[in-house]
Amino acid sequence: MSAHDREHPGVATDPAAAATPGVGERIPRFLLTYSPLGRIVRAVARLRASVHAKLLGAFLLIALLLIAMGAMSLQAIASVARHSRLLDQARERVDAVRQIEHALGLQMNFTRNALLLRDDATIESMFRENNRFRDTFDRLETAATPEQRETIQRLRITQDKVMATVARIASLIREGKADDAMALHLDEGYPLYREIATLVTRAVRNEEAGMGQLREGVETTYRRALLLTGGFAATSIVLALVLGFVISWSFILPVREAEGFLGRVAKGDFGATIDVPNRDEFGALARRMNEMSRELHELYDAQHRAALQLRTLNAELEQASRAKSNFLASMSHELRTPMNAILGFTEMIRDGLYGEVPPEIQEPVTDIHTCGKQLLALINNVLDLSKIEAGRMELALGEYVVEDIVDTVKLSLRSLAATKGLELVSTVAPGLPLCVGDGKRLTQCLTNLVGNALKFTSEGRVEIRVEARGDDLRFAVADTGIGIPAEQVGSIFEEFRQADATVSRDFGGTGLGLSITRKLVELHGGRIWVESEVGKGSTFFFEIPARVTREAAA
Amino acid sequence: MKTVLYVEDNEFNRKIVRQLLTRTEYRLVEAADGEAGVTAAREARPDVIIMDIQLPKMSGLDATRQLRADPATSGIPIIVITSFALAGDEEKAREVGAAAYLAKPYSPRELLGMIRELAPER
Repeated sequence: MSAHDREHPGVATDPAAAATPGVGERIPRFLLTYSPLGRIVRAVARLRASVHAKLLGAFLLIALLLIAMGAMSLQAIASVARHSRLLDQARERVDAVRQIEHALGLQMNFTRNALLLRDDATIESMFRENNRFRDTFDRLETAATPEQRETIQRLRITQDKVMATVARIASLIREGKADDAMALHLDEGYPLYREIATLVTRAVRNEEAGMGQLREGVETTYRRALLLTGGFAATSIVLALVLGFVISWSFILPVREAEGFLGRVAKGDFGATIDVPNRDEFGALARRMNEMSRELHELYDAQHRAALQLRTLNAELEQASRAKSNFLASMSHELRTPMNAILGFTEMIRDGLYGEVPPEIQEPVTDIHTCGKQLLALINNVLDLSKIEAGRMELALGEYVVEDIVDTVKLSLRSLAATKGLELVSTVAPGLPLCVGDGKRLTQCLTNLVGNALKFTSEGRVEIRVEARGDDLRFAVADTGIGIPAEQVGSIFEEFRQADATVSRDFGGTGLGLSITRKLVELHGGRIWVESEVGKGSTFFFEIPARVTREAAA
Repeated sequence: MKTVLYVEDNEFNRKIVRQLLTRTEYRLVEAADGEAGVTAAREARPDVIIMDIQLPKMSGLDATRQLRADPATSGIPIIVITSFALAGDEEKAREVGAAAYLAKPYSPRELLGMIRELAPER
């Protein structure tokens, strides 16, 4: 575990736990852990429905509850209205019954008057009240319940009897039999009145009892409506809160989970997986994240394996390179050791160490020496090329004087030029600064180019020119030789290339010199090129920085 | 009479130096490997040592380093014969304390000049 991880201990496990939770965080946390809400949240998450459907469902549920509450209220209002109507009717009936009682009282009064006064007008008023009874009975009957109707019926019958009695009393009065009329009134009329009064009282009492029940019914309905409305309102609020909590947390939990998961992935834990019970869009998202994690894990593994392989390969390559270097070093030594003997012995013979050399032996000894030198040059070239190929050619950077290089080259090739009857001249621009580079290797480059020029020129001259071009030095070697065909100019610097395969037979050489020269120039951070015309001659150029640095040489 | 020690495993090369020195006033001691070279140097106390860079048993560079570290032989000039194989051979020769170095194949004439410079015949 790195120091960086230790600074944030909470982040890797639960991002929410890292910050101090506020009340808004602690309450849901408590509810989710200790109440069945946690289970409901998981159940809702597991529902195979989209987020859209879940939200719609929740809103619909609450809307349905409100609609149900509205329906209940309407029903309560209707019930109250019905009860009120019934109450009104009952009150009307009570009124009617009281009117009957009142009318009966009047009739009794008129009857008494008729018995006392015995005039026709008073007798007529007795009958007038009878008609009024009939109207009232009709009104009563229309709105009566069956048992009330029975009471009314009995009232009617009794009333009819009263009417009959009243009629007989009236006729007795008209006949002047006042005592008989009085007796009839007292024996029949009065008890009938009493009966009617009793019936009326009973009917009123009945109605009042019914009205009391109705009033109670209205009150009960009110109470029930109040309770229902309150209950529905409370249920709606609780349901809205619960559904809001459940649905929002069924979304928040996977989002939190995803946040933590992404945090782990960002920290490089590619094996992490996310566990979300949701079967909605969040579930789909989590599945995708897990796929991504797996994919990342595989990529990481593959990359890790590739890196390991690369490391092994690098080690192997390094070992191979070292082996190659060792081989080159020992090869170089092994080849030079016999060369040393060959060249050493011939030199000592020519120096007369073994006595005076007979004239006829002098030439073959010189030939052996010349061929030995050629073989050595060849060995050097092959070894140089191998070193370049192995990446082991390193420049020994140091200060050098351009004139010294040119003089050295001229000195070593003067005899060859003289043998072929060629002019070897040089022009070094005055005032060239002290330069930095590998003087020995630059001498080798210039020697190769001048040697080539001399080799491919049969008459005329070879000229070395050196001048400054800004911060660069330009070396040019111009000859008046056979030239190079245009189509072969491009490949002239490749290994084992000479302009023509027959050329090597006529002029000798392995075709390694130019390619080594190019590599050495490039190691100096420079470039080489040739301008040539067949039959007229060639000019080889190379340009290198006057002061080569380690970085430029790399 | 000055003594020259030549440490070289190739018989023909040893023969060159042997014959090179026959007409001089130098006495030649030869050794065919690095270890023998170090032993010979301690016993013969030569005036100059010619040390080939690549030798059996112990490399010329290691032998040179040992001789330079030993107070008994540290004063003897050593000419290291490099094979000019890789860049840095000359630096290595100088680092271990060679008085001079010569690239193989060397000119016997040049070698003799170097010996005379480091240990004059008389």
